[in-house]
Amino acid sequence: MKLHPFTPFALVLAVAALAFILPAPSGPAALYAAVAATALARGMRGAVVAGAVVSLPLWVFLVLLHAILPGGEGAAAALAQGARLGAVATASVMLIRTFDPSRFLDAASAGGWSLGAAFLIVSTMQAAPRLRLRAGSILEAQRARGLVAGGSPVARLKALVPVTLPLALGTLAEVDERAMALEIRAFGGGGRRTPLEIPAMSARDRLLRWGAVLAVSAAAGWRLL
Amino acid sequence: MLIPSAVAINLAMGFVTNQLGLPLYLDTIGTVLTAALAGPWAGIVTGLLSQAVRSLYEGFIWLPFGLVQVVIALCAALAARAAGFRDTARSVGWGAITGIAAGAVSALISHVVFRGVTATGVTAITTLLAGLGLSRAEAVTVASLATDIVDKVLVFVLAGTALRGLPLRVAARYPWAMRATGR
Repeated sequence: MKLHPFTPFALVLAVAALAFILPAPSGPAALYAAVAATALARGMRGAVVAGAVVSLPLWVFLVLLHAILPGGEGAAAALAQGARLGAVATASVMLIRTFDPSRFLDAASAGGWSLGAAFLIVSTMQAAPRLRLRAGSILEAQRARGLVAGGSPVARLKALVPVTLPLALGTLAEVDERAMALEIRAFGGGGRRTPLEIPAMSARDRLLRWGAVLAVSAAAGWRLL
Repeated sequence: MLIPSAVAINLAMGFVTNQLGLPLYLDTIGTVLTAALAGPWAGIVTGLLSQAVRSLYEGFIWLPFGLVQVVIALCAALAARAAGFRDTARSVGWGAITGIAAGAVSALISHVVFRGVTATGVTAITTLLAGLGLSRAEAVTVASLATDIVDKVLVFVLAGTALRGLPLRVAARYPWAMRATGR
């Protein structure tokens, strides 16, 4: 059974909080190991790899700046910060790979959120990959028309204009069409939306959320005392 | 609908710079465009949402940089009020001012929260400067300011060109846009 759409957000926020609250370097390192083990146990090996790829360049610079070059804070500080970044990046990748926009919108509607706020979040999540694809198409089309998108830095800078302007202008021109499409569907008509399928809040969701709150509170209390 | 589209532009620009192999971010064009079209609040929401969505893909750890997006949105709104997108020279000037403000805030966050290690390009410069003998704080500040000034000048020039290229029919819907471009 799937988790409630809000539960993964609560868990990622808890991981981010714990990454900074737990004592360094062992706390963040243990947290990273725990997050990676959870991902592997859930069959999300790709999330562990993606999290490592995102944080790998930062590990390199952390070791250079803090462990090798003079004036750094030492290898322990580099390990702690790298583990923090790795833990949060892996948890975030797990979240994005399980995110279902329509279930999120249904859960937000059922939770009494304003339709505008819920739609803003979901439409943003859906627009991002769409526009990335369009940017790729524009780049390919301009290359086919003779755009030189490589070579010297100046040539690559010049290539920015014929890619960026169609992307920005096309997107802005589309705003009106999309707004009108929403109006036709009575988006601004007010009234509460009735979700057909309300995502269930299971005992597992409650357990995970309260577990996250307790873990963060306990870690914060332990550090303060 | 403007805000989700602008957030998507911000995120897509990361892909464009990556494809072109440019060591720049340009991931605030949507924020600048929204602030220049619909005012500071729309720009701030766009900036914060962009940072939140980017954080989803790359880790929530980058959320503190949302503050930089707020600074950029405020500067862009000020530029729009002062017709700062009327021509390229004005865009360059306002871009440089924004770069200094954004770079200062960014350096503070990088140094305090991230121990100087953030995005690859700026951290490479930080490492190089630290290797040349600058202190960690100095290296982070110089690297952040240098990269942010170049980046924001380009962002403002590209946003200004897009704003001036907007058909009058579209621009007329946004009172801030008419003022920003001095139409």
